[in-house]
Amino acid sequence: MERQPDSPSSSVPANVEFKAVLLLILMASLIVGFVLYVMYARGVFENTQRLVLLSDDSEGVIVGMDVTFSGFPIGRVTRVELAPDGKVRILIDVPDKDAKWLRTSSIFTMERGLVGETRIRAFSNVLEDPPLPPGAERSVLRGDTNAEIPRLVATARSLLENLQTMTSSDSSINSSLADLQTTTKRLNGRYGLLGGALGSDEEARKVIAALDRLNALLSKADQRVFGKQGLVDDVQVTVVQLNKVLGGAQATLKKVDAVLAEAQAVGANARIATEDLGTLRAEVEVSLRKVTTLVDEVNRKWPFASNKEIKLP
Amino acid sequence: MALFGASALVIALFPSAHSRTNLVAMAKHIYTSTWRVLPWFTLATALFSLVLIRIVLVTALSYGLSQYALEMMVRVLVLELIPLGAALFVALRAGLAFNAGAAAPATHAGRSNEPVDFHNDVVPEVIASAFSVLSLAMVSSAIVLVLAYLNVYGLTLWGLVDYTRTVGRVFDPAVTAGFALKTILFGLAVAVIPMAAMLELSRQEGRTRSAASSTVQPGAMRLFFILLLIEAGSLAVKYI
Repeated sequence: MERQPDSPSSSVPANVEFKAVLLLILMASLIVGFVLYVMYARGVFENTQRLVLLSDDSEGVIVGMDVTFSGFPIGRVTRVELAPDGKVRILIDVPDKDAKWLRTSSIFTMERGLVGETRIRAFSNVLEDPPLPPGAERSVLRGDTNAEIPRLVATARSLLENLQTMTSSDSSINSSLADLQTTTKRLNGRYGLLGGALGSDEEARKVIAALDRLNALLSKADQRVFGKQGLVDDVQVTVVQLNKVLGGAQATLKKVDAVLAEAQAVGANARIATEDLGTLRAEVEVSLRKVTTLVDEVNRKWPFASNKEIKLP
Repeated sequence: MALFGASALVIALFPSAHSRTNLVAMAKHIYTSTWRVLPWFTLATALFSLVLIRIVLVTALSYGLSQYALEMMVRVLVLELIPLGAALFVALRAGLAFNAGAAAPATHAGRSNEPVDFHNDVVPEVIASAFSVLSLAMVSSAIVLVLAYLNVYGLTLWGLVDYTRTVGRVFDPAVTAGFALKTILFGLAVAVIPMAAMLELSRQEGRTRSAASSTVQPGAMRLFFILLLIEAGSLAVKYI
């Protein structure tokens, strides 16, 4: 049986041993490189600090899962264990280069959605706070979508019941719609909006009749007021007469003004006379004082004047 | 078969057992079974993986689950399909060689009544076959990891940190050890089972002179069954 060219003993190049060694070296380096890469990817060469999260349920938490900060993985779950007090201790390794994002005021949450794995997140609102010390223990806040479902279903049921009540045949909405339909029918009826507003065509008819009567009354009033020898003509004559009366009153007032002017002149004269009277009185007083002085002088010089001196014994 | 496998393994693991003739024969077998096929197998695997990567990526994007696409690609392609593909390829190639008459020296010797040199003919071929499976799986896995990165992140280095983290999450110690163990077992199965079957066949032919002219490689069914068993065991350990 002939050997095919594929056989190792036929058509073998001269440097086959070199190629085999090269291949061995390539494979060895590939394996070593891959192992080193995986070790690096798993953080074997990184210095880490320990963080312990306390929870009451470890469902969904698996070793190797990430802890994220603003969407970036900053740590990895290395162990999940049950504490003596029944709490779950989630041990997390945080690389030193990422530990700066964790502060003493940081909050940790564990969210579990309907689809996808559980996620542990860290929130640090105040980055000026002191950094989280190594080995720190923090409680984790849990948000479970599955736990929210019963409450959501109860709320939805209540909502649906309300909706059913609203849409039942004797519901308020149906009654309102029926009323609205009746109103719309009236609006589309013979008397239109008037019939809809007043409730029936009969009422609308009464209003229209009243309007007719009002129209007739207005026409009569128009005739009486604005017609021939109507109220407006009488008013016009009265106004003319009133104008005349006003003209007379105006002339009278002018005369009164003249009388008042004369009275003012009399008043002024009286004031002047009063001033002269004061002067006259002063002069009279002076004259009287002179007469008194004169009489006293006469009495003193008069021979029959009695001696008024009293002589004591 | 187990005895044959253990003997081959012991001889392979002790350097003192390898003579110059033995090493040259091993180099020839490695060249034939690995060097010649490595580029074509890598190219075919890359094309096949590219198609799968695109399908997984586009599907994951359409469902808004792109964050899981990369992990799924690594798990499906690197951990499962490529080692199995490499093992099947080496086994199939050995079967084709058997049909074409360029089979292992044991069978050739058996058919031509030549004495079988276990140390210089059989052991180098066993080692070369196992090495071929390991090499093809490793090189293809590395190429697929690069292709997956390029498909997800494009020609940029900014996704390297995220990608490295994902790879690290997939390859935890248990998975890495399982991956290595599975690939080694695939290599051993592909190398040992057909060879042991051929030797057994040659002994039977020597006794009965029935000159079985079967075109099916001896031990092929047994090999595929063992490969299936290893793969199923690996999946069961990892995911159950």
